[in-house]
Amino acid sequence: MLRKRLVTVLTFNDGVLFRTKLFEPDYRYTHNFVDAWSVDEIVVLDVTRPGQGTRENFFRVVKDFASRCFVPLAAGGGIRSLDDVKRMIDLGADKVVVNSMTVERPALLGEIASLYGAQCVVCSIDARQTADGRRYEAFTHFGTRPTGLEPAKLARQAQTAGAGEILITSIERDGSLSGYDLDLCRSVTEAVSVPVLVSGGAGSWQHFVDAFNKAGASGVCTSNIYHFTETSIRSAKNFLDKAGIAVRK
Amino acid sequence: MRVAVVDYGSGNLTSVTGALRHLGVEPVLSSDPSVLSSAEKIILPGVGAFGDCIRNLRQTGLDRFLEQVKDKVPILGICVGAQMMCRESDEFGRHEGLGWVDAVVRRLEMAPDQSDLRVPHVGWNELHRTRDCPLFVDVPDDALFYYVHSYAMQPCMADLAVATCDYGSRFMASFQAGMVYGVQFHPEKSQQHGLTVLKNFVERG
Repeated sequence: MLRKRLVTVLTFNDGVLFRTKLFEPDYRYTHNFVDAWSVDEIVVLDVTRPGQGTRENFFRVVKDFASRCFVPLAAGGGIRSLDDVKRMIDLGADKVVVNSMTVERPALLGEIASLYGAQCVVCSIDARQTADGRRYEAFTHFGTRPTGLEPAKLARQAQTAGAGEILITSIERDGSLSGYDLDLCRSVTEAVSVPVLVSGGAGSWQHFVDAFNKAGASGVCTSNIYHFTETSIRSAKNFLDKAGIAVRK
Repeated sequence: MRVAVVDYGSGNLTSVTGALRHLGVEPVLSSDPSVLSSAEKIILPGVGAFGDCIRNLRQTGLDRFLEQVKDKVPILGICVGAQMMCRESDEFGRHEGLGWVDAVVRRLEMAPDQSDLRVPHVGWNELHRTRDCPLFVDVPDDALFYYVHSYAMQPCMADLAVATCDYGSRFMASFQAGMVYGVQFHPEKSQQHGLTVLKNFVERG
């Protein structure tokens, strides 16, 4: 049986690992705690704002992870062209995470898929609740630019365009530890047939169980990496196992 | 041991070469038959669409080279690298493969009661070994491997398949035909068990 995945998402500002809160770099880590042997998959994202650093520092990060982690590695942040994709793949990424271009030029997803396969294309959607709290809206450019699009609709369009996976992130829950936005996640899992990874808000192992059982997620992301020392990722998997979720132990 | 990784413009070569280096093997990365011909083991990676991969392989003339050496030098195909060894694929249209093994590549089909399964098949899944193969020496029966694919190799013929995997329906997770080996999963992304498979290919293949 296909196992549910625990995915570690790491955000880098000018090549330095930061935790984010509400999408802003919040806490700078001095060490990289990723347990490369227990985590199922790693996503590295460049969140460097324009003019605040160089791309090369992030490229070094990707190359470093690729050379010592024998699990799938997805890289994103600033993927705007096939050249950007090729660079990430050459550095050792297995997948690329596309965010703003999903809205600006969805054809890019198809171009990547036809060259590298749909499994290489992770469409990342950042969303927040609308002011009336009745629906959701997708945002691009680090959560700053509203699109007027519902994340579920955008996800479906992305799947049609060529995305092989969707990463749905709640902007409000980012760094909150208050749990994933299950309604948001469910709206996306119900809209697409590709796997969906959920991100933003994980604060306890039960939040993982809820995302799998109540929101149809294929993988749960956490970027709060101090939870992910070697013993704690094992404890998370033991917790999931006891809750009847099939995970890789 | 001279291990060559075929560089034909498709695939994530960094992952494969990184895994080999971790095993203490310094691979030769090349698209030049005269360089590849000195290899004792050849790995044919493949990430991407079948049509693009096989076109690149033919354009570089490497299909003819591999054809010539496949009975003398062990070759391991990974993912689309393995799929290309089959007769044909219907990923984005019909494409003829190398035809070394008697199987075809078809979109993963979901049985009616499993319509909730998502495609691509992404993540860790077990494989079921159907006969002995050097690739799986010292690999436990319940070992998990990382898969990421929408198309799969079928049927699972007893004299070809060495392992199968179930996702919606059954497909070939690994095959062996003489010195030709193929794996649908990614050994270079499957942690210690994947590294064991690569080590086995290098040492026992």
